[in-house]
Amino acid sequence: MGEGFLRLAGVTKRYADRTILDRISLDVSQGEIVALLGASGCGKTTLLRLIAGLERLDAGEIWIAGERVAAEGRNLAPPRARGIGFVFQDLALWPHLTVAASLDFVLASGGMPKRERARRIADTLQMVRISRFAQSYPNRLSGGEQQRAALARAIVGHPRLLLLDEPMSSLDADLKVDLLGELAALQAKLDVTTIYVTHDRAEAAALAHKDFFLLA
Amino acid sequence: MGTALIKAMILRARPSVVASLSARSLALGLAWALFIVLCALPALYMLGASLHGADGGLSFKNYRLLFIGTRQRELLFNSALLGAGASAIATFIGAPLGLLLARADLTAKRSLRLALVIPLVVPSYILALAWTYIGGPTGIVAQAFGRDLMSVWTYSLAGAMIVMGINFYPLSMLATEAAAGRSGSLEEAGLLAARPGRVLRRITLPLIAPGIVAAALIIFVLAVSEFGVPGLLRARVFTTEVFTAFAALYDFGAATALAVPLLALALIAGIAVKLILGDRLLATRRGFRSGLPLALSRWRVAAFAGLAIVLASFVVLPLAALAVEAGRLERITSAALKSAGAITNSLALATISAILIVALAVLLGYGRARARSKSCGFIDLIFITIFAVPSTVLGVGLIGLWNRPGVMGEVYGSRLIIVAAYLARLVPAAALILAAAVRQVPVSLEEAAEVAGAGWPRTFIRIVLPRIRAGLAAALVVSFIFAFGELGATMLVAPPGQSTLPVRVYTLIANAPPGEVAALGLMQACIILVPLALLGVFARGRKGEN
Repeated sequence: MGEGFLRLAGVTKRYADRTILDRISLDVSQGEIVALLGASGCGKTTLLRLIAGLERLDAGEIWIAGERVAAEGRNLAPPRARGIGFVFQDLALWPHLTVAASLDFVLASGGMPKRERARRIADTLQMVRISRFAQSYPNRLSGGEQQRAALARAIVGHPRLLLLDEPMSSLDADLKVDLLGELAALQAKLDVTTIYVTHDRAEAAALAHKDFFLLA
Repeated sequence: MGTALIKAMILRARPSVVASLSARSLALGLAWALFIVLCALPALYMLGASLHGADGGLSFKNYRLLFIGTRQRELLFNSALLGAGASAIATFIGAPLGLLLARADLTAKRSLRLALVIPLVVPSYILALAWTYIGGPTGIVAQAFGRDLMSVWTYSLAGAMIVMGINFYPLSMLATEAAAGRSGSLEEAGLLAARPGRVLRRITLPLIAPGIVAAALIIFVLAVSEFGVPGLLRARVFTTEVFTAFAALYDFGAATALAVPLLALALIAGIAVKLILGDRLLATRRGFRSGLPLALSRWRVAAFAGLAIVLASFVVLPLAALAVEAGRLERITSAALKSAGAITNSLALATISAILIVALAVLLGYGRARARSKSCGFIDLIFITIFAVPSTVLGVGLIGLWNRPGVMGEVYGSRLIIVAAYLARLVPAAALILAAAVRQVPVSLEEAAEVAGAGWPRTFIRIVLPRIRAGLAAALVVSFIFAFGELGATMLVAPPGQSTLPVRVYTLIANAPPGEVAALGLMQACIILVPLALLGVFARGRKGEN
């Protein structure tokens, strides 16, 4: 095991007869933001999903905080045990739950007592500046507000690792700049190791400490 | 230079766009006119006729009778009980199966799905017939135990409920599977924080519940609208009474009055389904992500045992009962020869009708898919409501509408009236299937063709239709299967000497040896399974292409 907080060693993923990721290795230190760049279809999202445990790798190993979570073609730790916050490309906000209820779902699943949950939810919503939408359903939120709700859900459980899959891709330029600034500040405050998938070099430059290019 | 090029493109495109708009309007306008005449008018006619008294003037007598007559109340109770029971049974069987198909790591899933769908495509009265051979006074159970244990249950409202629950469970299964297929990434978001069981309870089930409830509602309406099963199993409900009032007593007024609750029910169900599902009514695209995996592990044996029981009880057993009753192959051949006219008639009419249905429905579906948002809900409501109109009500409506002197009378006296009945019943369903298919074709593909100078007819034929081949095949097969099995409307409108196979089977039940009826029923089921199998092969081919 190396020094990295997140370590990928020879990670390979195939779909049918096509190799999407071929022996990818990567080391990310605690608190670091790494931008994962590359053309469409090069496997950026697949790599995030492997780290999260939503896909099974074909070869290689994944280590998080010194724990081997995937190896020998198997997930050794389920997604919920990896301490991950994930902002999906399509946000995947649960349409039948309000913003606060979504956050509560995450915390209650981790076994947090109710009173503590309420405080944590209030703090998190304040942090991403959507406190007034706590009781709103996702379809009542604007694009930027939905983005913040997805981010709130990802960070409310105080994850060890934050995975962001092109979270700004559907936003206009001005909003993107605002949110990137906020995201950088938030990351610094939480000191959470972050992998940020994007195909926009400017976005990567604005946020990341280190860039990592995936070739198709 | 760039601006000049764009201007030149717009100038070049404009005449074709204008021309294509008018060609499209003409085609869609014609399709809607045909839809109104063929599909909507019979139901509207029944509605209008129910408001006329014996003297031809406006009267609410029929409606008053509905509320004060004890017979009407009894019928209403029976019909509602039949619908609710069938819907509950179908959901109880179908929803877990849908969830299994969507998420469990089962082998040969496509073949399994196809086999489980069989009870839906075999006409319901054939299923009912099979169950009479199992649970009737001289059926398999009575022979096995040496005495009649089941016939009281078989020939009852409860029996009709069970048969229709079995008939319609595939609808609930497919709806559940489709709903579960759309929640993949939402479940994955849950899996990052919670155990699979909690994700199932808090994320999956609330998300798929509207789909299950909407399917249950549709099953309720289809069960209430069904004529063949309650007729055969002697359950007194509105549809059988409409048939008796018209065909046996020639009481047109009573038939229209009895049709009113059914029409109202069709409308209410249409509104409810549309409210529950909204635009998801036409959502066919499965989610990109697979979502919550249902690892069977130690439950694998139990799941396979459950599936085996469902397949054996609801698919194999009814067909086997028909085969046992039909007996030797010579008897089947002899029955086929005796009913050759009806079989040929059915095959020809169902084939012609299926082609006409798809031809009309593809334009209506295209219009719906490309409609502006405000009119979408209304169009869906019309399609659902007309589809939910019971076959016997439709039959009486068609007679009232077409039985007139002149050209209309000539149509009424010929086999064309059967084609008209099939169109009236099945165009709305086919239009919804094809609207869902067209919605998957990006509008930009058509716009690119228009900019390139193609008119709308060319764009539609060369760009849109090839992209919806699978939808067209599905609509064609579904239309053929249900036209081939149509009974309620055909019984009423078929001209003398122009019997179809379902009508012949139904009329022979009381007048011919059970073996001959079973042979014809088995043949009908087998004929229907051929296009279903072809559709399965086609779907597999498409999967291979992709």
